[in-house]
Formats: sequence, C-alpha cells, structure tokens
Amino acid sequence: MNNSEKTALIIGGGLAGLEAANKIGGAGYKAILVEKEEQLGGIMKQLYGSFPRWDNPRELVDQKVKMAQENPNVTMKTNTTVKSAHKKDQTFVVELSNNEQMEFDAVVLATGFDFYDASQYGEYGYGAFDNVLTALEFEAKLKEMESWDKEDLPQVVAFFKCVGSRDRSKGYPYCSKICCMFTAKEAGLMKDLNPDAKCFVFYMDYRAAGKEYEEFARSVMEDKHVRYVRGRPAKVLPENGKLMVRAEDTLMGVPVEVAADMIVLANAMIPAESTIELAGIFGAKIDQYGFIDYIPGHPTQTGDRVFFAGGCGFPVESLGAQYQGAAAAADVIALFTQD
Amino acid sequence: MLNTADFYHVLRIDQTSNSLREEIKEHCHTDIEMCLECGKCSGGCSNAHIFDITPRKIIQLIKVGEEAKLLKMDALWSCVACQLCVDRCPSSINIPRIMDYLREKAYSQGVPASRPNVELFHELMLNNIKRFGRVPEALLSVEFNIRSKQYTKDAEMGMKMFFKGKLNPIPARIKNIKQVQRMFRDIPAQREG
Repeated sequence: MNNSEKTALIIGGGLAGLEAANKIGGAGYKAILVEKEEQLGGIMKQLYGSFPRWDNPRELVDQKVKMAQENPNVTMKTNTTVKSAHKKDQTFVVELSNNEQMEFDAVVLATGFDFYDASQYGEYGYGAFDNVLTALEFEAKLKEMESWDKEDLPQVVAFFKCVGSRDRSKGYPYCSKICCMFTAKEAGLMKDLNPDAKCFVFYMDYRAAGKEYEEFARSVMEDKHVRYVRGRPAKVLPENGKLMVRAEDTLMGVPVEVAADMIVLANAMIPAESTIELAGIFGAKIDQYGFIDYIPGHPTQTGDRVFFAGGCGFPVESLGAQYQGAAAAADVIALFTQD
Repeated sequence: MLNTADFYHVLRIDQTSNSLREEIKEHCHTDIEMCLECGKCSGGCSNAHIFDITPRKIIQLIKVGEEAKLLKMDALWSCVACQLCVDRCPSSINIPRIMDYLREKAYSQGVPASRPNVELFHELMLNNIKRFGRVPEALLSVEFNIRSKQYTKDAEMGMKMFFKGKLNPIPARIKNIKQVQRMFRDIPAQREG
C-alpha cells in the first residue's frame, strides 16, 4: 500500500483542527476535516481581540483556512458530523452525517469545548438582566459597540472571573486557565473603545503564566487603568437602572459596591457533550470531567490511532491550540510513515 | 487611631476619586497602579507592629482615594522612613516618599497627629537642624522633655549613653551652616488654618 494514500480524519474545524489538517496535508497525506458548524474557525472566529498580543484573531483563522483550501491533500466538510464508526484492522470505517462512508487510518479529535451555563448562578442575574453577558457574547458586543455613539457606550463595566470554575458547589473545581487573560483583554478593549469607561475586574487570583502574559495583564492595569478588585462578587441587584454589584475587597476587608452598566461573566470552559459521544465512538480516554485524556507518555494520543488537540483536552489558548494541532499531526505523520 | 467601626462601610468603588493617586504620581514620581499587592512592604516593615494601617493597605487606600483616612492615620507619624519597604518592593514603589508627601499634606491642612507632641518634636528637630545643620540628640531630648513637660522621660537611658560616650552634651555645628539656613529660607514650612 502506498503510504501517501493514508488518510486522517480530523474532527473539528477550529484552530487546533485546522493546524493538524494543514500539517498532515503538508506532509503529503490525505486529511479530511469535518466541522459540524457552517463556518470554520470555531471559537477563534467569533473573537474580537486576542492576547497576549493585540492581534485580530479572525485574520489568523482566515490565514489557516486559506492554507487548508490551497492544499490539495486537505478536504474540508462543513455542516458535517460523524454518525458512527467501527474499527476494521488498522482502519476506522466512518459514516458521516451526509451518509458518506469513508475509511481512515487515524483520527484527530479537535472538537473544542463548551461554555458553562452562566444562568446557574442566580445571584449574577444572567438571563434575567439584559446587560449581563458572557465573555463570548461580550466579544460580539465589542464589535457592535464600534459603531455606537460615545454616550451610548457603557460607562461602568464589571468583569467577574471564575464563573463556574474553581467552584465545587455549582461548577467545576478546576481553573479554566485562560479566563484571566481573556478578561484582561476584554477589559482592555473596552477601555480602548471608551477610555472614560471605568472597568472593574473582580478576581480571586489573576493567573498569567505564559510568555508575555504577566506583562499583558499588568499593562491592562497600569496603562489602560483597569481596576482589579480581589474578591468574588456575591450578588447583582438592579438599582436605578443600573446593576449594583456587591463584593468584598478581600485585600482591604471592606465591602465594596459598583453600579455597573454592563457585567461580563468569564464563564468556564467545560467539556463539550459531543466530545464525550465521539470518545465513545473512537475508544478515546475521557477524564473525570469529560475532557479527552492522554495516554501517559504520549501527550497527544488518547487511543489506538486516535489523537487529540485543542480545547477538547482542556481549556487552551490559541497558541497552545496550534501547538497541540501540530503535535497531533506530527504523531499521525510518524504513524503513517511507519505503516 | 482608626478602629474597625470607622472602616466598615460599603465603599462605592465606581465613585472614588483619582486625584490623590495623580498627585502622588506627580509629586512622588511613583505610580501606585504598579502595586502587585504582594504585601512584602508590610511584611518587612520595621514598625508594622505599631502601625494602625500597614504599608500595603496605605497603597490600597490611595487607590480608592480615601484621603481623609490617610491624613489622620497614626502610621503617618510612626513611620521612621527606614526605607525597608521601598528597598524590597518588586515594583519600586517609594512608600517613604509617599509618607512624606502625606505628612506634609496633613501638616499643611492642620490635621492633628493622633498621638501627643508629634508636631512639637518635628518642630524642635527642624529647628535644631536649622541652627546646627544636624540633630544634637542630647539637646533635642532635653528641649523636648521640657516643652512636653515629661521631665524625666528617657533620662536613665540618656545617662547610660552619656557614660558610654554615645551622647555628646555639647551640640556640634556643621561647617557650612549658611547653606542649610538658605534651604530653610527658600522652602518655608507652610501651614493653613
């Protein structure tokens, strides 16, 4: 059998999946990428800004999509999901949602993540008050606000971190890892749109472990003058047309209040239901939460001929998703070369 | 001294003033937004045990513009400007310089110090510097004890120090006292009200 006819299935057309497809295709093997949505690019495509550099994330995605389109070895199928699959010797026989049946020599799961349902926190009023948004909704709102008159822009914006993460009672005990950074980014972008706006970030810790991360977060505080208040907000109540946020400033031990025009909840990244389903289909390992788990010593592998990349393994930033996509592709290429 | 009841009210942090922060940035060349809130200043402060508000909290109070509290806090007068805080601060925030600024402000606004005789001591000390160009400890102590009517304060220790040759009863004057006096003439102490 000619090795170059080996084919990999990549499930998920976000940044990690695109990276894996591009690398596998670039090495001369066939890569079929399926994406359940109409649009490629996943979460990245919906973002207004990026960290730790103030780049345009949509341009990055477009660049990756273009690379994939120009690569004759890469085929992308949007609006397509995996219906079923079974193993036949060294290949997976996969039935797609368009009833196509195909054979694959390896699978890369890059199914991404979901967001925690912020309405489970009744005290924050998500769903009850119009101006309480999730972080992803706020990214779209930032785009919308570009064209607003200055007087219509929110004057006071409060950002709540750890909504559904680091919460053993209503959410998940883990740290969702990237919310600190995207909250800093969103608060900074809000200040760029309206330098007169007062932005408050309520935090327990700010975790900026990454190249340029600390500098990025500090610049948001020191150069863009976003105020960080240590303490987890306890309640949001409507008052005179505003949203009154009540918290404790735990550094001072004093109760504090902010009358906010808008509240942005950094809701945790959680496992996608479709990931768990697909893991079952392909025999991938799942951890206690529903994220894909790795085989010890093989950080991109989760089963026999099954690899993974991106947020389906754990919350990851855009650079990390690209690393993981490339790493999973390297494993697939190595496997195909050995076959 | 402030007690907990003075502190415990809900602070509307969206309505706080930035003016003190800006003043300090201008006069002390130090940006308190650089504060990492690590507490190394308070942890190492040589006088934290007698401070009503410790250095990290002082920075926090500046952040929320609580000027009135800062001007009447006791720490203003119990800080000995030993420089340990700024020496250890990872952001090089010059807290002693900020304390100086706040002290000057409290003095010029006539905010009384929370413990007795503080102003008297500062006045006597500056006066001595004006006369001798340095601080003659023995003379200053005697003057202070007489003016504050605490005649025997530290007398025992003073005697011990004297017999060990640590205390010179005769004040010495620096050579170029004129320069010091010119300094005092050019920058007079200002006090309102």
